[in-house]
Amino acid sequence: MTKLTRRTALTGGLLALGGTALWTATRPSAQAQDGAMHPTIEEVMFDPANPVLGNPEGDVTIVEFFDYQCPYCKSNHPVLKEVVEADGNVRLVMKDWPIFGAPSVRAAQLALGAASLDSYLTANDALMATEGRLDETLIEETLTEAGLDVAALDAAYRENRSTWDGLLTRNSAQAAAFHLRGTPAFIIGTAIYPGAMDKAGLENAVATARG
Amino acid sequence: MTRISPYPAALRRAIIAPLLAALSLALFAAAALAQGDAFDRQSPPMDPREAFALEVEPQPDGSRLLRWDIAEGYYLYRDYLSAETGDGATLPLETEPGITQDDPTFGTVEVYFQEAEARIGPVQGPVHVTYQGCQDGGICYPPVTDTLPAIEAAAAPAAGADPAAPAPAPAPAEETVAEQASGGGITLAEDSGLLDGLSARGGPILVLAGFFGFGLLLAFTPCVFPMFPILAGLLAGQDGTVGARRGALLSGVYVLAMAAAFGLLGLIAAWSGQNLQLVLQSPWAVGVVAVIFVALALSMFGLYEMRLPQAWTARLSGVGAGRGGTLGGAAALGFTSALIMGPCVTAPLAGALLYIARTGDAWLGAGALFALGLGQGVPLLIAGTFGARMLPRAGAWMEGVKAAFGVVFLGMAIWLGGRLLPGPAVLALWAALLLGAGVFIGGLDRLEPGSGAAPRLRKTAGLAAILVAVFMGLGAAAGGQDPMRPLAGLRPAAAAPGPASDEIAFTPVASVPELDAALAQADGPAMIYVTADWCVTCKVIDRRLWPDPAVREALADTTLIAADLSEFDTAGQALLDHLGSVGPPTMVFLDAAGREAPGSRLIGEPGVEEVVASARAIR
Repeated sequence: MTKLTRRTALTGGLLALGGTALWTATRPSAQAQDGAMHPTIEEVMFDPANPVLGNPEGDVTIVEFFDYQCPYCKSNHPVLKEVVEADGNVRLVMKDWPIFGAPSVRAAQLALGAASLDSYLTANDALMATEGRLDETLIEETLTEAGLDVAALDAAYRENRSTWDGLLTRNSAQAAAFHLRGTPAFIIGTAIYPGAMDKAGLENAVATARG
Repeated sequence: MTRISPYPAALRRAIIAPLLAALSLALFAAAALAQGDAFDRQSPPMDPREAFALEVEPQPDGSRLLRWDIAEGYYLYRDYLSAETGDGATLPLETEPGITQDDPTFGTVEVYFQEAEARIGPVQGPVHVTYQGCQDGGICYPPVTDTLPAIEAAAAPAAGADPAAPAPAPAPAEETVAEQASGGGITLAEDSGLLDGLSARGGPILVLAGFFGFGLLLAFTPCVFPMFPILAGLLAGQDGTVGARRGALLSGVYVLAMAAAFGLLGLIAAWSGQNLQLVLQSPWAVGVVAVIFVALALSMFGLYEMRLPQAWTARLSGVGAGRGGTLGGAAALGFTSALIMGPCVTAPLAGALLYIARTGDAWLGAGALFALGLGQGVPLLIAGTFGARMLPRAGAWMEGVKAAFGVVFLGMAIWLGGRLLPGPAVLALWAALLLGAGVFIGGLDRLEPGSGAAPRLRKTAGLAAILVAVFMGLGAAAGGQDPMRPLAGLRPAAAAPGPASDEIAFTPVASVPELDAALAQADGPAMIYVTADWCVTCKVIDRRLWPDPAVREALADTTLIAADLSEFDTAGQALLDHLGSVGPPTMVFLDAAGREAPGSRLIGEPGVEEVVASARAIR
């Protein structure tokens, strides 16, 4: 199970890399195989499938590429939320980039399923508040404790599977295209910020994005 | 955004990482003061293949040893290490337990800092290795997968594009890979050709004669000086006159025993295949010999008569002219003397051992070393024979001579102990010895008004010894190291910068791949210093040679690599074989093209001039 999923993720990454290379080589015909394209900032920030947190009408978007098992994504999350809330005019786009194998993918699937049920924030908050590594049982317990019905989430995910799987594939492709090193990686305005960010760093980045 | 570091991971760890550590410490302090402003932002994450530099060592049995050199501030997850065959079958990985992180944000995970190792059993075809890690406190990388080329039955070049394709035929590609991995970086000089030449031209006789000649030459180096007092002490220890015949006999036995010890060393070395120099360099052996010298000295001072048990002496003296105890003593001294010459004879010994190793001819090796010992003993024999005859008749002066030898023996013990003890302690011992000598000579005795020249000279000598002792004592108290310059430590810091700042810096390597990596980094001449914690002579070199200004200047533009054999394992043995060295201390000088300069290799404890000359040879 683990191996299979990891390889799937890997293939996605390699595909995306291939797409990037192709894009660099033949930029005018930006089209790469399998629909992987060099993404624009717009496509990253305004992917229609991706849930939006914070203020959806905000003038600045913070994009975070993250993984539910990435320790620094999770330790960084309260700070991020605090900054977004305090600002009040920031769109927060959490982009799943599952790099830690099957449990990460599973967590992402259920959270995205929650988006169909208008409970993405609850699922995301609950999963981001977990400590350390995850497994299937821990994920389900966490979501259940947050008042969610895991079976319903799973059904919702399966119902729109092509949308969510497409989103995850695009996320990976975008991460590769922007040469993101790993998670967490922030895109704020037109700048890429690799790694965890503290409060001041986030505030400065938002201020910079506003110009 | 991408930062490309021009340094390989090993160098980064050796040089840059401490700098970074210091820098980040400073930054942390600054950040704390500035209440965490922009300062505590992490440095941009490195490329994962740079942060986790993977090195693969194909093993002779077809397995692979994977080693990750992990940059400071990065770690690799044990659980996310995996390997697959070309067609996707999972391969078992042997890994060491990592460090268990119990941080809440980590959960309980096993991670590796600095270095990780894994072993993959023998497998056909290429292997995909996947690893994953994080920058501590910064970013977590997606898994990285590297494809390792096949070992032995390597995939044909064309198949490389499709790892799933079956490996069709053995290709020479692997050989080149192995060569790159294990070694072609350097070309050793064919210096040991002298031996080969000898045996090719004249067979064993010429080899033996050659070694006899080597020994004779060695006898005129300071290495053999310690032997003279030992032998003379032996002769002086006789109660009664020593005739030429007796002297010749005694010194002959002494020399034979010494040569036999060498021969035995050669034989044992050939038999065991082990490196005897390694054993002789052990603090243990040196310590034992130092203690023997103290015991000898005390005997010279008349504390006790050092004799073998009566039964032994009777048996042993049966060989000689019937005088008790002395031949056995001569033999024992001769035998142990071979050991005390350790550092000086490392060179010929190394040559002989290499020769033995190469031919596998234990007896010839033993014979060669025996001949070496004999050659070395010739001057001793002459001194023993004629020096003894020239000695005046026995009398009270004999006690003085014995005491003098006692002092010399104690000096030998201190000299040997200097390899084991810290510099100031050795200096203090020298001070104590000289002080005692000065007092016993009579430096503090009252001179009668009408004294003649002799007592006054004695007093002068005694006072001189005491004066030097005082200097040394002061030097020891000031942390001095060098008995020749005891007060060096008292010089103001401005004149002599602290040892930490001007120490010669070596890049440590412990295996052939590490050496290759270090050499790849060198863009000029390089010097490889084979050393180890347990090599006592190396300690002397570290203390005397590297701080020397002339040496430092000569090696200024040279990449300095320390082949550290402190943990002497198979990697260490491979490193020794690679360098064609028998053991520490050895210095190999390579020019910019990676070729060893002919005749430049230094084995044992060389002088400053030799190091400078060898360093010039590779400029």
